[in-house]
Amino acid sequence: MLAFRSEEHVDRWREQRCLAPGAVFSPDQMWRLAYDWYRDRLSPDWQRKTPEEAQALLEEIGLTGPFWRLRP
Amino acid sequence: MNDTPVRLHLYNRFLADGRPPTALETAEALGVPTEEAEAAYQRLEQAHVIVLAPGTTDVWMANPLSAVPTPFRVVTGDGRSWWGNCVWDGLGVLAMVGADGVVSTSCPDCGEPLELRISGGELEPIDAVVHFAVPAARWWDNIGFT
Repeated sequence: MLAFRSEEHVDRWREQRCLAPGAVFSPDQMWRLAYDWYRDRLSPDWQRKTPEEAQALLEEIGLTGPFWRLRP
Repeated sequence: MNDTPVRLHLYNRFLADGRPPTALETAEALGVPTEEAEAAYQRLEQAHVIVLAPGTTDVWMANPLSAVPTPFRVVTGDGRSWWGNCVWDGLGVLAMVGADGVVSTSCPDCGEPLELRISGGELEPIDAVVHFAVPAARWWDNIGFT
């Protein structure tokens, strides 16, 4: 996943590469996802999130819809 | 074998040295046979905790860290630095080490530098967007391209 100056920049970059539309969201959502995903990675008790836990985390920060569904 | 000691050693050495330990180095540090450390690395890859360079037991990614330079440089306020695999992981490095700092990247379209700055545990306002190219269900089809 990449950071762009704006959605217009995303569209131009994507069209030049014939890539299908992905999902665009805010850096703030990215930080919240990164924080919740990785904050405990160095803990001895860390366990990989179950698909259900990961899905709940995505939903919590507003990443919903078919694109964000972890299970097809 | 419980893979937790291998995982913790791998991540802690990666953070301290700026590169992941080889399976041999991990085996020596933990006092286990090299084959056991290699098997643990492979199990961690199968569990999607780390990614090995194809056909080897060399660590390519120990998410969120990258063993090779990427367009996502992470520098903490106290001057430590690593590479993240993507924007998510760049910010994830700061979350993992619990430090303020900056993820430096650039807009792939125009090349303008973008700095995502964490201060006091919060992201400073930035005029930018994040793009995910691959639907969540296919993230692990090719984790090098998401």
